[in-house]
Amino acid sequence: MENLDELINKLAQDTEAVKPAPHPYLLSLKWMGWAAAYLFVSLALSGLRPDVMLKLHQPLFVAEIALLVGIFISTSVSAALLAFPDLHQKRVVAYSPVAMFALFLLLILFAWNADNPPAPLPVHNFECTLGIMLMALLPAAWTFNAMRKYASTHYHWAGSIAVLSAFSVGALWLRLHEVNDSIIHLIEWHYLPMIACGVAGLWLGKKYLKW
Amino acid sequence: MRQSLDGDQRAYAELLRETSRFLRPFLAKRLSFTNEVDDLLQEILLSIHKARHTYDGNRPYKPWAYAIAKFRLQDYLRAHYADQLHHAEDYDELEESLQEPVTETDFSYESISGEVQKLPEKQAIILQLMHQDGYTAKEVAEKLGMNESAVKVAAHRAYKVLRSKLER
Repeated sequence: MENLDELINKLAQDTEAVKPAPHPYLLSLKWMGWAAAYLFVSLALSGLRPDVMLKLHQPLFVAEIALLVGIFISTSVSAALLAFPDLHQKRVVAYSPVAMFALFLLLILFAWNADNPPAPLPVHNFECTLGIMLMALLPAAWTFNAMRKYASTHYHWAGSIAVLSAFSVGALWLRLHEVNDSIIHLIEWHYLPMIACGVAGLWLGKKYLKW
Repeated sequence: MRQSLDGDQRAYAELLRETSRFLRPFLAKRLSFTNEVDDLLQEILLSIHKARHTYDGNRPYKPWAYAIAKFRLQDYLRAHYADQLHHAEDYDELEESLQEPVTETDFSYESISGEVQKLPEKQAIILQLMHQDGYTAKEVAEKLGMNESAVKVAAHRAYKVLRSKLER
């Protein structure tokens, strides 16, 4: 008990006015702004797929891009909330990526069903995963770096969601850059690795966000 | 909390006292020993201090403080059970080798003292006390403020390491 009083007095003496952390929504908006700029620059450098105007008239492609954007936004907001001890008392918003991923899964199943006759498989395979991951490295690094300044009490999930957010930037870039419509290829080399990266994010969260 | 974020020391001390008052019963319900509660309470207050910039003055304080308390409690329990599991494994191994004398070995302490010095500090001290100075496990336990079985487990672990090194 004496130790506790001593500690309290010591902590009280140590206290200086601290700058409160920004609101998580503001924080996520900042991350999204950076990621969007990064995506635009990358697309400007690598080039959009030549048939992009044609593809933007296809509902399934538009829905896929819209849901990838949705995943990017919801995971960014969720990662920002998960960086705070009490999720900023917005638990439902923090878990919103679950709904977004469920919708995305439905869309993929629907697209798989609609892929008749199947679109030809591209000649490459793992290069797509590698490309997405390389593209996601920078957003992942700055998100983790930003999250370390706060105090996540759900560091596993925070890490996983941050990785998924970064991966969605990479996935968006590749879908808008590469001419490829094989759903099998997309599932195998674009979206299944996303799950693996999400799992790796659990470990990364423990390693880098534990405080 | 808002006052303390602005640097008001008295308000901050009062807030931490109040926090420890409402967290103590929460921890006492979940932990068996008073010293565990005190230790964890101190750790939680340190965490609250470290994370105070993440508190939003427009929101209730208690859910934020409880979130940190639960987080530290889970961490503590995880470490506690992992430690117990580790000890349980050691006891299993110890039981298996009960036929082997725990405090008697085939080699003299002097011949392996070089290897003993490379062991973790506690294990090295235990072996030194038992084999060079001739203390029993019980006496070593009293000397080091450990319980007897922990001393035997540590000695057993040290023997295993030494045996594998000497057999190479």
